[in-house]
Amino acid sequence: MNLTKTLTTAAIAALMATGAVAQDIAVIAGSVEDAFMDKIKKGVDDATHMVEANGGTVQYLRTQNYENFGPDLVTLINQAVAQGVDGIAIPVWVPDAQIPALQAAAEQGIKIMQYNSGLPVKDDISAINYFGSDEYEAGFGGGKYLAEQGAKHILCHIQVPGAINLEERCKGVTDGATEAGAKVTVLSTPANLDGDVTGTAEALKAEFIGDDTIDAMVSCADFGAAAGANAVEQTGLDIMVSAFDFSPASLERISAGTQKMAIDQQPYLQGFLATSMLFANLKFGTEISTDPVLTGPAIIDASNVDAVKAGAELGAR
Amino acid sequence: MASETTNTSDLADTLGKLIRRPEFGTLIGTVVVYIFFASLGGAVFLGAPGWSAFLTMAAEVGIIALPVGLLMIAGELDISVGAVVPAAALTTALVSGHYDMPTWYGVFAGLAVGVCVGFVNGQLVTRTSIPSLIITIGTMFGTMGLTLGFTVMIAGSTGVFMTPDPSAKALLGSSINFMFRATIFWWLGFAGLIYFFLHVSPWGNWIFALGGDRESARNAGIPVARTTIGLYMLSGFAAAFVGVSQVLTFGSAQVAAGQAFIFNSIMCVVIGGVLLTGGAGSVIGIVLGTLTFAIVNQGIFFSGIDPNYGSIIIGALLLIAVMSNDSFRNLALSYATKKKAG
Repeated sequence: MNLTKTLTTAAIAALMATGAVAQDIAVIAGSVEDAFMDKIKKGVDDATHMVEANGGTVQYLRTQNYENFGPDLVTLINQAVAQGVDGIAIPVWVPDAQIPALQAAAEQGIKIMQYNSGLPVKDDISAINYFGSDEYEAGFGGGKYLAEQGAKHILCHIQVPGAINLEERCKGVTDGATEAGAKVTVLSTPANLDGDVTGTAEALKAEFIGDDTIDAMVSCADFGAAAGANAVEQTGLDIMVSAFDFSPASLERISAGTQKMAIDQQPYLQGFLATSMLFANLKFGTEISTDPVLTGPAIIDASNVDAVKAGAELGAR
Repeated sequence: MASETTNTSDLADTLGKLIRRPEFGTLIGTVVVYIFFASLGGAVFLGAPGWSAFLTMAAEVGIIALPVGLLMIAGELDISVGAVVPAAALTTALVSGHYDMPTWYGVFAGLAVGVCVGFVNGQLVTRTSIPSLIITIGTMFGTMGLTLGFTVMIAGSTGVFMTPDPSAKALLGSSINFMFRATIFWWLGFAGLIYFFLHVSPWGNWIFALGGDRESARNAGIPVARTTIGLYMLSGFAAAFVGVSQVLTFGSAQVAAGQAFIFNSIMCVVIGGVLLTGGAGSVIGIVLGTLTFAIVNQGIFFSGIDPNYGSIIIGALLLIAVMSNDSFRNLALSYATKKKAG
């Protein structure tokens, strides 16, 4: 009886002690259906080893889908707050919904680390730092790369007309290419061709034939590169094909030379750095002086495609 | 003199018959749309690049639109085709790419997936009283989830790569002159077969009867359940065929593809004069509707019209097509009545 009591007291004391020094963090991410998020998760998982080795815990929370995205994210934030976490790592996709919830969390002394999205609202949520890419910068890097490779007239393909992040990408491409002396034309294909490789390939073919000064293209979607490569094969024209994001198939095309390059934002780094740096800030008080930290653009071309393939095999690229 | 009168009335009769054919409105639509874009697109649109562009697009949508049209004539819808396209493509890529088995095994497995989804659709539609729209939305999500889950579990990513062997690629994924895709010929072949099926063979009347009145069809001794299940299996097969031919052409399959086919195929069928409520429609109409749809979709890129406005033209075309189909149908009906009265 006495022994039990002592043990219980000791256990409670131990629990409270760990509660006082352990840093518990929540990492909130996008849909379980989104493959991009799997690469972020790989980074979070790897960082979790470091967190656990130092006595902390990581909770990884994802929404089911993107149908009710804003409210779903707020639910996850409130869930994390209710569980008494010390820090939250989160992208800001829906500022209107997320900012009030994150501000409320910050008022309770919870540290926020931002990754992947929402750089312009970083100060509104008092985030420690930002790990991610900037659509405009990514486009700028891609446009500059193509112009430096000799492109004179670049077609920038948008697969969902009116999507602001895609417009930003093409704006970046335009500025990056213009600076290096090339011209850019933006082509938005109707939304009913989104994901339709054949329909998009034929549309790109028409553009390539219609303007013979076009010597390069960059699509905002990975499937756009498959379509572009097909249009080039059909017309036999000499056009550099490239795209934002990539898949195993585009890596094969880069190896085979039918695609020039892909613009990557390295999601693994975003998950890994946001998790580990949030924890390190809570536990050790470290802070990176570079702010924001851009994980992209990283250009994948023939020179580094084999290394990327190896990384993709391991689920990190 | 008597014979002369007969000749004139024969001619009038033929013309009248032609105009009264349900496809006539669609044919006018196709011609008008072609002339419109030809006048803007010029030599490039009139030449091989233009024809190959809209024929290639028409072939893929068209292969799916044919059985979807048959289902609509029978009074049913199939939304699940949008999920079957990537499901079949990924099955083929997984079997022949990831597991490195012969291409034909993958092709067969991909097609089997489509037939299975069709079979499930057919069973659910005939065994429950739930509208087929709802059932096939359900099976669409189910198929999407299974595709995503299995692909990520097996391949660890949402895109799978494969190198098809030359004989399979030649048959399903090759192009003539780099432009005219093999699917165009498959589409025309399918159209011929389905034309025979719907308009020549006795089964065709069963389908029309199903769309007209299911109860009476059953009472007349038509095997309603078997016919419906068969039609769903056919549309599953057709969607899978498109998915398989895509993976053989492009050498890769993605989880998030195919959604475009749902509305695009229904649109082709409706432009082709098939009655949304079932009971009326024709294969020639569906083929012409598909051509019209593809000409508009691709013509925009040849014409110099800002593609941002492309969707407006597609939407307007759909409405105009349905309205003109309706007025042609009325015209045809009133013409026939007048003739009878005279």
